[in-house]
Amino acid sequence: MARTITLNHITKIEGHAKLTLSIEKNKVNRCELSSTEGSRYFEGLVLGRKYYEAHEMTSRICGICSCAHVVAAISAIENALGCKPSKQTKTLRELLTLGERIRSHATHLYFLALPDYLGYESALAMASKHKEKLERALLIMKVGNEMIKLLGSRDIHPVSATIGGWLKLPSQETINYIKENLIKLKEPAIKTAELFFSLNYPSFSTEGYFCSLKDKDKYAVLDGKFFAGGTEKAKEDYLSFIEEYSVPYSTANFVRIAGKRYSVGALARINNNQDKVSINAKKMLKKSGIKFPSLNPFHNNIAQAVELIHCIDEAIKICEEIEIKPEQLSKIKVAAGRGVGAIEVPRGTLWHEYTLNNKGIITQANIITPTAQNLLNIQEDIKSYVPSIFDKKKEDLIMDIEKLIRSYDPCFSCSAHFLEVNWI
Amino acid sequence: MKKLYVFGNQYLKEDSFAVDVARELKKEMEVVFCDSPEALFDCEEAAVILDVVKGIEEPIIINDLPLLKTRKMLSLHDFDLAFFLKLFKEMGGDKKFKIIGLPEKGNIKILSKWVKENI
Repeated sequence: MARTITLNHITKIEGHAKLTLSIEKNKVNRCELSSTEGSRYFEGLVLGRKYYEAHEMTSRICGICSCAHVVAAISAIENALGCKPSKQTKTLRELLTLGERIRSHATHLYFLALPDYLGYESALAMASKHKEKLERALLIMKVGNEMIKLLGSRDIHPVSATIGGWLKLPSQETINYIKENLIKLKEPAIKTAELFFSLNYPSFSTEGYFCSLKDKDKYAVLDGKFFAGGTEKAKEDYLSFIEEYSVPYSTANFVRIAGKRYSVGALARINNNQDKVSINAKKMLKKSGIKFPSLNPFHNNIAQAVELIHCIDEAIKICEEIEIKPEQLSKIKVAAGRGVGAIEVPRGTLWHEYTLNNKGIITQANIITPTAQNLLNIQEDIKSYVPSIFDKKKEDLIMDIEKLIRSYDPCFSCSAHFLEVNWI
Repeated sequence: MKKLYVFGNQYLKEDSFAVDVARELKKEMEVVFCDSPEALFDCEEAAVILDVVKGIEEPIIINDLPLLKTRKMLSLHDFDLAFFLKLFKEMGGDKKFKIIGLPEKGNIKILSKWVKENI
């Protein structure tokens, strides 16, 4: 008997998404994962605007990843203008980005992923029995949030980071305060990793590539080349290897490399850069009992937990080493040019590209989010995964598919509010 | 001195009135303008929250959290004030919240006086 499953709203992910599955004789005939939110036109909105407006405007793409869009846009515009920011500026941008990753990973792990594995509908439902875990989550989120607020001058859509520098530098006391708070997170981060190691993950292997930035000397955040399919590629050449294309059932573009699917995010980063995580993160990777690189997308939760430890260690290191000095913004000579910015953000590699005319006005823009890059891989993973769980009860089957989707921590940029399932 | 935690978006006409009233009260009490509910992480055991409540014409006091309407926590975008308040309650913490709800518009002087008397 053929059956069709339509998940009109996939829950506990960022934004609207819909899945249509048609199954016959244990074979998936049709699998379409679509982003169903309206087109948002950010690439069009920035056209005709000045070069210094791109980061403030594109920050509004998402309140969860606003720092990511700010830093990626600034980086692309600086590349277009040939502007070189100071070392201090780059370090502060990295710290801001780490703060956002700490906040985002803790929130996803505890409030969206954990209820699945502990058998609750939501974090609210598990609050009375798992108070300690949620208190830990709230503490980590608070520190990440405060980092963003202190460095970026706002806890969402930060305004301190700008083209060529920092509009309001944090004081050395602020940096020390951030460091002290981060130190308090070391133990909760270890406990988080232990908790996520202890959960039972389904056994499954994806066939997609794992892509991320790869830096020579460190765990890549802002710099490095894009590691895809075993080779390192220059960011500015991204159009020669990344292909965006549309499908009739989704308002979001799909993305592939040389016709093949791939994924970005914490698991891809750990798979590609595990030798560059902090000592504590390395120890925990070993303790996880999982051999990395792992091809199991469910292990993205484990990778996020290990990254949490690494991000905290790295941010503490930055706070210990940086000596805040007053400095002017880098000089900007407005000229025509094209620039690409690609940075690692909570959900994977984020691409921004802008072309400016000789008056500094944006004439072309392209933004590729991590979720867009993951869409094809998620869809194809579902297609391969479903036959192995086909004999499960309807509710359990849906739960397992949603778990798989959620393991990628997708963000469709606006919220999904309910789940509706149609069985035909 | 009592601390007032204020929620609202000054740029949205229908959501800015609590911010306007709180500005009037700033001289007389400590006011915390909150960008997100996470600001409540640091509040004292008993906190007073000021926010606009849709559909009311007179100010109200809400002590009973279950009265607040919450969506299911399905995405990070559902982290609203009501979710956090209910989460704190479910976790059984010591924090007690009193919410002063204001209508979307009104006389700032009269309502700031009302808030001061009812805080």
